[in-house]
Parts: sequence; structure tokens; C-alpha cells
Amino acid sequence: MESLTLKAEVRLTVAQCYRTLTRGSDGADVVAALRTLRSYLDDGAQSATTAVQRAEFRRNHYTRTIQLLVHNIQADWLHSFTAAQRAELWDGLFLQGPPDQALLVLMEAIGNLRASTNLDHLVLITETFLQSGRLGDLLWLYCQAAPSDSPQLRETLLGRIVALPDLTANKLHPNNKPIFLPQQYYPLLASEMLSALDRTCQALREGTDCSLTFVAETLGKACMQGHSDVLLAAMAPRLSVCTRSDMVWQRVCWKLLENVPQRWMEAVLTGLVQAVSGPDALGRIIGNLVLKNKKAQFVITHKLLLLQYKYETKVLRTVLGYLAADKERRPMLIQVLRSVSQAWANPSAVKHTPLEQQFYVSKALLLSVSLLKDSELQELRSELLQCMLGGMQSHLDSSVVRIRHMGMVVGECLSSRMDINETKLTFEYDKDEETQELLSLMTPVTGDESEPETVPGADSVCEVTPPTVSSQNKSVDQPLTTNPDSDLDSDDELTPYDMSDDKEICQASPPRYLRDCLETLMTSEDAARVELSLRVAESLVRTNIFAAREISVKMTKVLLHMEDKYSINGFRLLRQATMVALAVTDCIPVTQYLTTEFYSLNYSLCQRLDILEVLASAAQELSKPIAKKSDPLCCPAACTDVTPYPGDNPVHWRQVVEKRIQSKTKRLSKGVTQPPVKATPNRYAPVAGHFFFPLLRNYDKPQATFDLLGSDHLVLGRLIHTFGLFMHLAVNAPIAAQMGCALLDFVWAVRYHADQMVRRSVLFAVCSVFLSMPSQNLLVDLDDQLFETRTWLADVAEGDPDADCRSLAVQSLVLLDKSLKKQLQDPPSLGSRS
Amino acid sequence: MAGPAPAPIYTLRGSGGPLNTLHFNCHAGDAPLLFSGSGKGAIHVWNLNTRRAEKIIEAHSGSAVIWLSTLSTDALISQGRDMRVCLWDLAEGRSEVVDSVWTGSVGFCQCSLLEMSPGTFLLAFAGEQTEEVKIIELPSKTPVCTLVPDAKLGMVMCIKLWQPDSAPGPLLLAGYEDGSLLLWDVNQTSKLSQAKVHPGPVMCLALDTKRLRGVSGSSEKTLTSWIMDKQSNLQLRDCVTLVNPGVSQLCIREDGKLLASAGWDHRVRVFGWRKLKPLAALQYHTDMVLSVAFADHQDPRHRLLAAGSKDQRITLWSIYNQPTSTG
Repeated sequence: MESLTLKAEVRLTVAQCYRTLTRGSDGADVVAALRTLRSYLDDGAQSATTAVQRAEFRRNHYTRTIQLLVHNIQADWLHSFTAAQRAELWDGLFLQGPPDQALLVLMEAIGNLRASTNLDHLVLITETFLQSGRLGDLLWLYCQAAPSDSPQLRETLLGRIVALPDLTANKLHPNNKPIFLPQQYYPLLASEMLSALDRTCQALREGTDCSLTFVAETLGKACMQGHSDVLLAAMAPRLSVCTRSDMVWQRVCWKLLENVPQRWMEAVLTGLVQAVSGPDALGRIIGNLVLKNKKAQFVITHKLLLLQYKYETKVLRTVLGYLAADKERRPMLIQVLRSVSQAWANPSAVKHTPLEQQFYVSKALLLSVSLLKDSELQELRSELLQCMLGGMQSHLDSSVVRIRHMGMVVGECLSSRMDINETKLTFEYDKDEETQELLSLMTPVTGDESEPETVPGADSVCEVTPPTVSSQNKSVDQPLTTNPDSDLDSDDELTPYDMSDDKEICQASPPRYLRDCLETLMTSEDAARVELSLRVAESLVRTNIFAAREISVKMTKVLLHMEDKYSINGFRLLRQATMVALAVTDCIPVTQYLTTEFYSLNYSLCQRLDILEVLASAAQELSKPIAKKSDPLCCPAACTDVTPYPGDNPVHWRQVVEKRIQSKTKRLSKGVTQPPVKATPNRYAPVAGHFFFPLLRNYDKPQATFDLLGSDHLVLGRLIHTFGLFMHLAVNAPIAAQMGCALLDFVWAVRYHADQMVRRSVLFAVCSVFLSMPSQNLLVDLDDQLFETRTWLADVAEGDPDADCRSLAVQSLVLLDKSLKKQLQDPPSLGSRS
Repeated sequence: MAGPAPAPIYTLRGSGGPLNTLHFNCHAGDAPLLFSGSGKGAIHVWNLNTRRAEKIIEAHSGSAVIWLSTLSTDALISQGRDMRVCLWDLAEGRSEVVDSVWTGSVGFCQCSLLEMSPGTFLLAFAGEQTEEVKIIELPSKTPVCTLVPDAKLGMVMCIKLWQPDSAPGPLLLAGYEDGSLLLWDVNQTSKLSQAKVHPGPVMCLALDTKRLRGVSGSSEKTLTSWIMDKQSNLQLRDCVTLVNPGVSQLCIREDGKLLASAGWDHRVRVFGWRKLKPLAALQYHTDMVLSVAFADHQDPRHRLLAAGSKDQRITLWSIYNQPTSTG
């Protein structure tokens, strides 16, 4: 009864104040009215109002009051206030009242007002609101007890808090305040959340119940909107430090994450695993969340490992280390290992998933194996062995070098971990960055969590100091090390002469006649003589053209069958360079020989690849303008151009294509700025057919030792690539049109080949067809095929798992369109031809 | 910095045989002289001003001359494969054998000569027995001592006799066939120290008597340097690896700055002596270089490097003897 009268009293007083304010008659009255309203917000003993009155005002009248204030922001009395009065009476009402209502009204008002001094004023108040930690008060308010307001209101409030930077940016445009920028606002929000959590801990210790739902929702929503990195970068270190020894903090953290709504769980977790410093910190912060929450379990054990692959190795370490750290979570590690090993060994995944993902899965596999205990390893042994054998087979079958290396490294690591009958697999592979990284995963990181014990702010000072100390040490060390030597330094006064000529001498002298050279290569058993002959063979061929023509085919045969018996340094290159020289000097017989041999029996894959390599290099050399004959430098230059396996590095292909594209665009845009190049006959154009057509025959006749369309897809890929190269070099040759038609026909059958190297080659070949074929021929000769080709290319560009294939397909499409457009815009040439 | 290696400033031809040994004498008379001993038993005396052979001595009855030196301006001492060491009088255009010593050594070990006082010398040479080193006094030919190691070390390959400042008597360094290097005290007739410096025979050695530091070469690719500490112990120091194996002779320039090696790979290599830093590889010869020597001229600018090769030529090189930087 008494409270009712009190409430009525409050309502009456407030209504009176409203009237005064709206009428805005007299300055003194207004001040009095504002003072009265203010008095309902004053806590403390000297307050003129009772607690019940204050509560009533806060609950039922506060929002209306400040809405009214905002409404009357134009009133004269407000402008007649001094700055102090305004800050005390007007601003104070916003900053002292219930923060949730104040924030809602402020945001609404900012949204409604046009750019004016009033808007500036409200922005200023909002800024002060944030700076004075009212956001933390707001969150804390919702922690204390679930307020009885409607879900819609909560939802709106949540939206306002999380999206405050967006709302202000939309309204204020260039006049936005720095504190509203996401880079500043979200760290502020993070620290306010931390302070709310801190207060929660305090309250729990004192025995008060708290609810973390609202904070958890705020966290979830902010993460979901893509601010997890900024937010968690500020929160995770602090949480990690606080949970280190404090059980209450741990419980609060666990509760917080449990309260994050399902739909936002993934965003929070992915942000968190990236922000924490290691598996232990993650374990302390999220506890056994994976066991309780289905969504969290899916994210941690499946999505982060098998579906996404953008994360760094550190994240993998954190996730797997987290699963391994606790006895209850350990079964999950084993489950993860099972699924990861299946994913790794899946032959279809090897073929159809991007390389980066395979690398990621390999890393996950190695990491989880390294975390297993020996007893667990025993249990999983048969499964792992199966996975290893199957997976290695499919990896080693791949024609992509990186995949093969991955298979080798993983196989090595698994076998050494499993210790099968004391035997270990060892492979030979290049120690590049990727393999090194994989190998390093098997060794556990020692002292991975060098976490600061103190708050991040304080420890940054400590971090700065060590480098200066060490640099001082260095500067002290250096004179020490040089001092003992200083009196012996007089050797340095003597400047050495150039000693690059100082090489090992060999006993035998190189052959001087080509026939001697051939004889040695055929019959000699003397390693030194064979090596010398091989080294001079190329120059002999190039200098004695007539002698070379007499024995070209014989010598090619000898070289093709030659084996590196004496492990001569650079054997492959020397042999290849000589064969290229032969093919260039005596083009038609040698190409005839090589192209027939390519399809004949009893050659190793390596020899067949060599044939392709030689043909490609010879075509390349022939198509270059003839350098001055007397220039001896042209020969070594030609040698260095020949890379041993261009098919293994896709860069090479792209370079060829891109160089070509660039040269085209340059010509269009620049005009003739350089002096015109002297025209020289292209030696390749007349013989292009000899390179191309014999190789195109017979490809579909499988033999006992060579099945081009079957298992020997490595050779197929290289063959198509070589065709593409021939095509590319035949630009402007009269025969190019026929070659293009034939090549497109050939390639059509294998355009969806399972092997990505073959697909890449096909796309490369298609690219070069579009580049080299005259555009009128494209339209006339390929009329019916063009449409299908376009559809196919579009399909590849969109859906191929291999990034190179996609980009090549896009390039082909661009080239095709360009060519067609040119042709359609320029029909006279078509007319004149037909 | 790295200019091409210099060419020889002059080539002396016409010795008619491989050049086993070279010896400069720049203090005598008016012209600096270079003595060379060939594999055909001829000793050439080259005048370095006219660059012609001033005198040709047929010695050792056609056997190879493997070592020669001068006792004074006109007294020459030479060692041949006929197992003899001969003393020659070259004064006033004469060339007569004054005296000779029978060594009995069938090996290639070169003698070592040490002047004790004006007019008296000690001569060390390999003796008749495989491991034996004999020392006699010249010109009296009185035997001083015979040094035989206890263990079987194989043939004596190279020796060096010198008088250190610290010790009362002369010391002798001897390299043996099994790669050991022994330091002998001549007065005590006792072994002071032993070190295994090479896996194969020690082909040659050179000693810097001021720093008590030396270097030895073998048929392998390494030159090993060693020092003698205060207690006369041999201690191995750093090695330098050559591009091609085999060293016939080593020589340290008098100022202790340069070391030259005569390589089997036809090249003369020059190193900075203190750190064994490779400085140059001199290419000219078409066969093994057998001997190297630095001139003992008073003027540092005339301290030439001479190299004698199996291709019957002597090359003269002017290298690192401009006193610009070294002062």
C-alpha cells in the first residue's frame, strides 16, 4: 500500500517535471526540474529520495525522461546553460541512469538526428558513456540477475552493443570518433566483458548467483559478425592467465562458453583456437566443452581438421594438443586420428582435393600420431598400417611432386613412429620448406607455452628489454673474437688473385673429332674419357655441322640408350643438350627417329620422357631467331634454357603463357617504341609438322610396356604439354591451323582425365591453340567445337579442385573471347579469305 | 680485387731436363744468380740480369742432380742420384770438384746445410740405411752423429737442419715415408718429439725458423702446418686443402709472408704464410712443377719466385713484392 502511494508520488513529480521541461518557460524552473529528476538517480546516504522511489523511477520513468530530454534538445533553456550546468544536469542524466536504457535511447537518437550540434552533443555523451566504463556496468547488470524484460528488448540491446561501430559509422561518416572504430571499440568491449567476468568471480566468491548468458551472447554475436580476431586477441591472453591458478575463473570461463548459443559457437571457437597461445591455455578456458556440446565437438574434431584448411600449424597443434591433454578427451583424439588417417589415405581425396588441404590433413595426421602414447599406438597399429600403405600408394602414384613428397614424408614418419620390426622407410626427396615443416611436426615442441604470468600490458616492457641486452652482448663479443686475430691480420694485406681457373685437372684429353666422340660413347669403359666426350659432344655437333648430319641418327640412338654408369655430374643435361643439338642440326631425320621410337617397344618411361624433352627443346631452339653464328655464347645460353623437368614445375608453363599474353598486350598499348626487330626466318615453321604429326599417331594403341591412356598418365601429361609447346611455337606458321584442329580433337578425349597433371597439360595445350591459331581459322575450322569447348572451360574454371587448372581455364576463356571478338569485329578478313 | 693471376716475367729454357732443384744466390758478384739442377745431371748457373745460362756444369756423371746450394760466393755443393755430394770450386771461371762425400742413399731425400761459423758447416743427409740420417761437418767431413729412429718409419723423405735461438745445439726435422715427422736434437742424438702429419709419405717440408712454425706436403690434397712449442713438442695446426693432390716442394719467403708450393698439377700455388690463405694459383707449366725457390735479394722488390718443372723450363714470377701495402 505504501509502495503504491510512493509510486504514485513519483509519477506525479515526474509528470510535473516533464511539463516544466516541455514548456521550457523559465531557466530556474527548468534547473529545479532537472535537479529533481537527477535526485532519483543519486545513490548514497545524502540522497533526498528513498530507495523505492529510485527503483520506481529507474524502472518506469527513466527511458521516458531521457527520451524527453532528447526530444527537447532544441529547447532554449538548454542553450542558455553554462557548460558546467549542462554537464551536471543534462549529461549526468544519461551517464548515471540504467546503462541499458541510456544506450538504447542514445543509439536511437543518434540514428534519428541529422548532422547538427545536437548530434555532436549526443555523440559526445555516447563517447563519455563508453569511456567511463558504462558498458561494463551494463554487462554486469545483466550478470547479476536475468532482468525481466522481454526477449525482443534483449535482442535489440545485444544488436546495439555489438553493432555500435557500424551504426555510428553509417551515421557520422567522416566525423566518426576514434573510439567507435572497430579497432578501438572491440578491444574496449573485450575489456568490459573481462571486467564483468571479474566482478562475477568476486560475486561468486561471496556466494551470490550470477548469470553469464548475456555476456556469452554478446561474445557470440560479436564473433559471429567477424570481430573474433580483435575481440579474442584482447581476451584470450587475459583469460589464459586468470585461469592458470584460479578455479573460480576457470568455472566462469567454462560457463561462459557453455552459454554461448549454438548458432554462434563455431565463430567463438574458431576465434579462440587461433587466439590462445597453446593447448593448455585452450584446455583451461574451454574445459571439457567438446564432451558436452555437440556443436563444439563437431567444430573441434571435424570442421577445423577436415573441412577447413586455412589455419596455421599452431592452430592444429593447439586443437590436437587440447584433445590429448585430458583423460576424458583422449578417446576423441583417437577418433580424430581415425578420421584423419582415413581422409589422408582416401585415394579419391588425393585426386580431388586441393593440395593445400592435403598438406593440412597430413600435418594433422602427423601431429596426432606424435601425440599418441605407445599403448594407444599398439591398439591402432593395424589401422594405421593400413592407412599408411594405402595412402602412400595413392600419394606416390600422383604425378604432382608435392603430393609425392607428402606421401614420402608421412610414410617415413609413420613407419618410424610405429617401429615395424625395427624397420623404417626412407625416401629420397628434396628437403624443401614443406617437407621440413612436416618432419618437424613429429618432434614435440618443448616449452611451447611461454605465457606471460602478468597481464599483457605489463609484460610488453619485459619483452622489449631482452633484445637490447643481447645486442649489447653481441657488441661486446665481436671485439673479443676479432682481437686475438688482429696481429695475424697481415695476410689480409695481400689481396688474392682470381683463382677461378684453379680447377681439378683431368688426365685424358677430350676428343677433337665427332666420330671419335661417338666411338668413345659407344665402346669406352673409361669413365674419364666417356665424361670428357659427353662434355664436348654438344659443341662438336654444333661446330661440325656436316659431320653431324652424317651420323646424327646413330648418335641420337646411342645417346638415347646411354645410361649414367659413371654418375657423371650433370649427365642428364649434357646428354639432353647434345641430343637437342643433333635434332636442331639435322632436324628431319632425327625427329623422325625420335617420334617413331617414342611409341616403340622396350623403352623406359624415363627414355620416353627424354624424347619429349628433347623434341620440345629442339623446337624451342629452332623457333628462336638465329643468333650471330660467330657468337660462341649462344651455345651455352641454349643449354641453360633447357631445364631438366619443366613439367614438374607448373610455373614454367604459366610463364610461357603469360609471357606470350604480356607481349601481346604490350604491342597493342604501346605502339612502336622500340626499334623494329630485324626479321629473321623462323627455322621451326617449315618443320613444325615433322615434330607434331608423327607423335600424334599411335597414341591409343596400348602395348605391353606402355599404356598411354591407362596407367602411364605421367607420360600422357608430358606428351600433351609437349604438343601444346609445339603449337605455341608454331604461331604464324602456315600449318598452325591444321595443327590446332588436330590437337583440339586429340585433347577432347582426355579433357576430364583423373590426373591433374594431365588436365593441366590439356588446358595448356588449349591455351596455346587459342594463342597460335589465326582467329579466322578458329571460327571457320572449329565452328562446331568452339561452343562445347567454351562450356567445358567454364566448367573447369568453376569446379576443378586444382588451382592451376582453374586459372589456366580462365586464361583460355579470356584468350578465346579475345580472339573471337577480334574476328567478329573485323569481318573483312573473313570475307577476303572465304 | 681479384685480378687475373700474373704471367711469369721470364721463362728460362734450355736446361735439357726436368728441374729438380733451384737455388738463388743474389749476394755474389755483380749479377744475381740462379742455380738449377736438372734430371740429366747438368747444373746451370743463370745470370738473372742477362737471363742467360752463364755456365753449365756437367756433374754427377749424368745422374740427376737433386739438390744444390752455395757455401760461399764461389763454392757450390750439389747432391746427385749417384749417391754423392760434391763440393765445387767456381772461382775465376773454374768448375772443378774439390771434394765429394759418398752418402749411400738411394732415395730422393735432399740434404740440408747449416752454417755453424764462417767457413764451417754441418751437412745432414740420408744415409745408407733406410731410416738413417747422418750429419757431418764440412769441410772436415768429420761425422757428427747418426740419427736412427727406434720404430720402423720407412725411408727418410725430407730433412731440415737449423740452429734455434733457444737450444744450445742444432735441431733436425725429418719427414718419413709413413707420414711421421720427427724432431731430433743433434747434440744429444735423441728424439725430442714425433707427430703423424700425413697419411702418406711426407714429400717436402718448409720451416719458418723465426716463428718455429712449419708446413709439410705429401701426395694428398692437404698441406699441414705445425708448430714447435716451448718444450719442443710438435703440434699440428690448421690444414689447407689443395684443388689437386701432390706437392713436390714448399718454400717460405724470407720475410715470412708467403708460402709457395710446387704442385704435381703443373701449378705453383702461393699462400699467405700466417693464415695459409690461398692467394694465387700460377699456371704456366705443362708438366709437374718440381721445385720452387724465393730469391734472397737484399731489395725486396727483386725477390723473385722461381719454379722449375718437369717440362724443362724455369719460370720467374714477380709476385707480392711491391712494398706498397706491406711497408
